[in-house]
Amino acid sequence: MDLEVRSVSKRFGATIALDNVNLKIASGTIHSLIGENGAGKSTLGKILSGVYQLDSGEVELAGQAVTIGSPREALSRGITIIAQELSLVPSRNAADNVYLGIEDHAGPWVRRGVIKDRFEELTNTSGIIVPNDRPVSALSIGDQQKVEILRALARNAEVIVMDEPTARLSVEETAVLKDVMRSLRNQGKTIIFVSHFLGDVLDVSDAITIMRDGKIIRTSKPSDETHDSLVEAMTGRKAGEAFPAKTPPNSPAPVLEVNGLTRGMQFADISFTVGAGEIVALAGLVGSGRSEVARAIYGADPFDSGEVKLQGSVIKISHPATAIENGIAMIPESRKDQGLILDRSIRENISLPYLKKLSQLLMKRREENSMVAENFAAAGIRALSSEMTVRSLSGGNQQKALFARSLAGHPTLFIADEPTRGVDVGSKRAIYELLADLARKGMAVLVISSELDEVVGLAHRVIVMQTGRIVAELVGDQISESAVVSAAFSMKQREGLAS
Amino acid sequence: MTVVDTASRSINVKSLLSKYAIVWVTLLVFIFLSASTDAFLSADNLRNILDQQSVVLIVAAFTTIVLISGGFDVSLGAIYILAPLVALRVQNNINSAWLTLLAGILVGLIAGLLNGVIVAYGRINSFIATLATSFIFFGIAYLVSDGTILRVTDITMREVVTTRILGLTSATWIAFVVVAIAWIMLDRTRFGRYIFSVGGNFEAARLAGVRTNRVVVAAFVLAGAGAGLAGTLNSIRSVTAQASDDFSIIFAVIAAVVVGGTSIAGGSGAIWRSVVGVFFIAFIVNGFNLNGVDPVYQRIIQGAVILTAVGADAWSRRDKS
Ligand SMILES: Nc1ncnc2c1ncn2[C@@H]1O[C@H](COP(=O)(O)OP(=O)(O)OP(=O)(O)O)[C@@H](O)[C@H]1O
Ligand SMILES: [Mg+2]
Repeated sequence: MDLEVRSVSKRFGATIALDNVNLKIASGTIHSLIGENGAGKSTLGKILSGVYQLDSGEVELAGQAVTIGSPREALSRGITIIAQELSLVPSRNAADNVYLGIEDHAGPWVRRGVIKDRFEELTNTSGIIVPNDRPVSALSIGDQQKVEILRALARNAEVIVMDEPTARLSVEETAVLKDVMRSLRNQGKTIIFVSHFLGDVLDVSDAITIMRDGKIIRTSKPSDETHDSLVEAMTGRKAGEAFPAKTPPNSPAPVLEVNGLTRGMQFADISFTVGAGEIVALAGLVGSGRSEVARAIYGADPFDSGEVKLQGSVIKISHPATAIENGIAMIPESRKDQGLILDRSIRENISLPYLKKLSQLLMKRREENSMVAENFAAAGIRALSSEMTVRSLSGGNQQKALFARSLAGHPTLFIADEPTRGVDVGSKRAIYELLADLARKGMAVLVISSELDEVVGLAHRVIVMQTGRIVAELVGDQISESAVVSAAFSMKQREGLAS
Repeated sequence: MTVVDTASRSINVKSLLSKYAIVWVTLLVFIFLSASTDAFLSADNLRNILDQQSVVLIVAAFTTIVLISGGFDVSLGAIYILAPLVALRVQNNINSAWLTLLAGILVGLIAGLLNGVIVAYGRINSFIATLATSFIFFGIAYLVSDGTILRVTDITMREVVTTRILGLTSATWIAFVVVAIAWIMLDRTRFGRYIFSVGGNFEAARLAGVRTNRVVVAAFVLAGAGAGLAGTLNSIRSVTAQASDDFSIIFAVIAAVVVGGTSIAGGSGAIWRSVVGVFFIAFIVNGFNLNGVDPVYQRIIQGAVILTAVGADAWSRRDKS
């Protein structure tokens, strides 16, 4: 079932998200959509899957012009989307989620036996295996995503749009997902793959469409493209170095000193320092306790024992407000759940931590506006105005709004948990530049990242964690992808090396 | 992302229509009643509506703030009954208008503090928590009044609510001032920003350094104080108060706030919306009364109207996801 998009345009207020887009997607292929933040990839995916309605143009399925008025109608035509925010019922198991709303009934009763059989058959034919003996909330993100894919298959989806499916996956989980995608393609399904990971895109696609500013730049085969050629087409500029040069920090004075930080089952005996001008990366597998340590330092969660020193003196941080007052900024792991107030303006989201300074009896709007304007620009947010709601920004620009917020506080310690999640290559480079620049100006930077190249390319020092303990510390030449991986998987921790 | 200007005009018209839908509908009701019902568009009738709605407006203003903060307070009905009982005890002993009002406000404030602390620090769902405290407040109301009717002993006290200033009663003016204060708080102060952020995304607000628990407590304290003031004004006007008085004002208030377009999911809403919502319902009820519609049917129609208004609103917002 070939899919063809003809002269499709879509506008949100004064923003043209899609501008006369023409695209053919052949049946039984993996077709990637790439482009900078705000290029219109998600908008196109949402139009195909009925989430948004097109303003003009048409969509043809197998040569027939069709209307796609709602997600339900899209599904009836065999098209569905797996959005970045998964929409499972957390308390139910995989099979229940897969057949939610299309259960077999005997009168008012759901026939559980039949569901179980059908689930087993589905996992057998698709080759996608997930545990079904526990609620999906207990599954890893990667497995939850598989449940979403099974759900799409159970509804006979032929075309599956996957919008940044690997953004929250670990390296191993991404490899598994790519295998799943290939096997679906071999079964004749069509996959539209939206991603910022060009390596994955080159690796898995049959065709790649590059978008910029709501327009299609070109569609080509991966064999005709390289990482750099894609970047150039996406950004319209020559691809430069992926990472800024590392400037070795000269002042050895530690800004942050953590001693023996411990909390229950999550992490134990964590000690490390971050110096002025230094970028330290916390690496390790998802679930190794990296984010938990960062949150404890920031006062988001309590800890049982240990101490946190800032510029030499022990500070007691029981609330993020205290952390901010002490010059600590943190970009949390999940921008939608923990970072942004989606329905408020960019301005209000940036100024939120600093309202005490920006108000007396009433808000001082002029001072607020100038603080916002300055940091809006510094973070490189692309939006028509700072009065737009954060919800209307593309994913990458939402992330930049969080950077703008953190920068506005002129912190001495900057903690960034997965700082480039969902950010396009050009902006990634800009964020790396920003982090390196902050360090050069003497800020202490603590980065948590699951992307190895990022860890290796940015950090002066890498601290590797495993099941809640530090298992290795790598400095200078010791830092390499293989060194980080072998430390993350090592058995050292059981021998108690961390102590 | 590209910018155009030609299309934005037509789109603005559309969004003006849907954003201010409740205003247009209320205006329509107003125009319709003015044309169809003789007694409606008279100074006396409109003045009466304002006077009657003054207490509703006061409670609605701060209920809006609680709703935006992501909370829900059903105990305001009980506070509205309890506060004037204490206030009238004060009046009976010390015959001072100011102290009487102050007592009413103070009772509401303390009750709101209890609600807020239970909700914020006890981590109990606010609907359930305030349902429970409602029982407690009603119980205390019976204790305070000994189950009897309390009376305002000095009839001149009524001047607090009945004095005419520029044609409107002092109760109306008090309501205007309270609404204006709530409006400014929500729109122009740090506190207002905190309210929207806490209701919009509690965890994100906390991580951005907002003292979320304090904000929640403050919202409930304000709502309690508002209900205490409103109840006291109402009892001074009717010169009596008893524990078994009608507490259904809280339903009218929540209906008005929600019809106005403030979301019970938290994070969005506005004081002006609730003001319009209050008058939307008030006009309809007034129209029914002037046309002699049976109160039984009035209630049923009123319920249907509220459902329609809220449903239409949800419909118009549906594809903003
Ligand atoms: N609901 C909306 N309301 C207003 N503007 C929107 C809305 N959705 C998208 N936009 C705008 O349309 C443009 C395209 O957005 P889209 O989400 O399609 O980008 P994207 O290519 O998916 O970017 P990203 O890589 O950051 O996810 C952006 O300028 C965005 O701000
Ligand atoms: Mg997107």
